[in-house]
Amino acid sequence: MHVVFVSSKGSDPVVVDLLRKLNRNVEVVTRKLDKLIEVERSGARFSRPTIDMPEGTPLDVTTLLTLPDHLRKSALALSSLGEATATDLSKETSRVRAVESDYLNQLVSMGLIKKKRKGRDVYFYIE
Amino acid sequence: MTKTLAFHSYKGGTGKTSLVVNLGAVYAKQGASVCILDYDFRAPSLNVLFKAKPKLWLNDYLDGKCGINDVIVDESAKYNIRGKLWVGFANPSLEALKDVMSKDRRWEVKALSKTLAGKKEIIAEKNVDYLIFDTSPGAQYSSINALAGADLVSLVMKADEFDLEGTKELSRGVYEALGRKSGVILNKIPLEQIAASGGREKFGKEIEANVGLPLVGLIPCMCELMAAGGKSIYTLDKPDHAFSRSIDEIAETMKKM
Repeated sequence: MHVVFVSSKGSDPVVVDLLRKLNRNVEVVTRKLDKLIEVERSGARFSRPTIDMPEGTPLDVTTLLTLPDHLRKSALALSSLGEATATDLSKETSRVRAVESDYLNQLVSMGLIKKKRKGRDVYFYIE
Repeated sequence: MTKTLAFHSYKGGTGKTSLVVNLGAVYAKQGASVCILDYDFRAPSLNVLFKAKPKLWLNDYLDGKCGINDVIVDESAKYNIRGKLWVGFANPSLEALKDVMSKDRRWEVKALSKTLAGKKEIIAEKNVDYLIFDTSPGAQYSSINALAGADLVSLVMKADEFDLEGTKELSRGVYEALGRKSGVILNKIPLEQIAASGGREKFGKEIEANVGLPLVGLIPCMCELMAAGGKSIYTLDKPDHAFSRSIDEIAETMKKM
């Protein structure tokens, strides 16, 4: 959807400029939402794990071997870095930060890794 | 770019350690910088072959008592090689063996993390071209930790059926799950079977069909190797020997993998 703002006589140019900016932002958000819907429909990338881990399961190699590939990649990368943000890990796994963050949060939900906040950053780690 | 290789097997006695040392020596002779890590914590043997008495062991590193580079010993001066040969030894003392067997899963989590971090530190400080893990047979924690840190996993096996079944299981359950590039090295094959017309192709097809992995190389069975009892690095002492030539071939194949 494209909106054309016509600056007519008497209209406030500041308001018109703000409306243009607002429209650009709405277009960006719409594009991102379309991408997310596309990814959800295609299945795998944001699919939730189907395995349940007993409470207190440590993230050792035998646990790693039972994880689906996409989570194993995140877990191995975290094992290698020790403590890291989703951005650090996305560089390690060559995946988009938002996708990496989702996988890491799945590992947190499963109780295999933990996260903590340091200032504005969230750090993931293995206990 | 460093290549990290791990040598593993379903059963013991397949010749992993001999292969690791001889292969490392081939690369070092060619001028490469090589680091071998003894991850066979249940039956360490590299210290005997290199006649080494290090002050610190890989066990100390995994226990958090020192850095990985404090453990690595430069063995280059002992041999006529153009490159470098570094070795990290596992502690063969009875207390260390008992200690390894008493480790719990929490310790293993840290060991995995330290293995992956240690690999990076060795590469950064020693600037090695090849990092080679010698592992315990079977699905031991320490072995799978090493496999997780490797780019390329080589299964060493003898061509009997029992070996084949177990190796198939390892391939499905571990190597595929870890997503590591892997291949098979057949050891202790009668020389005449290798030399026979189409011998290599025949073994390659059998391995591909039964294990589902490519054949990396064939090593002949030779009595004099057993008589040497691991006291000699054949690829350095007898470079023209049939065994050494088969290791040379494996070294070239692995460079391309």
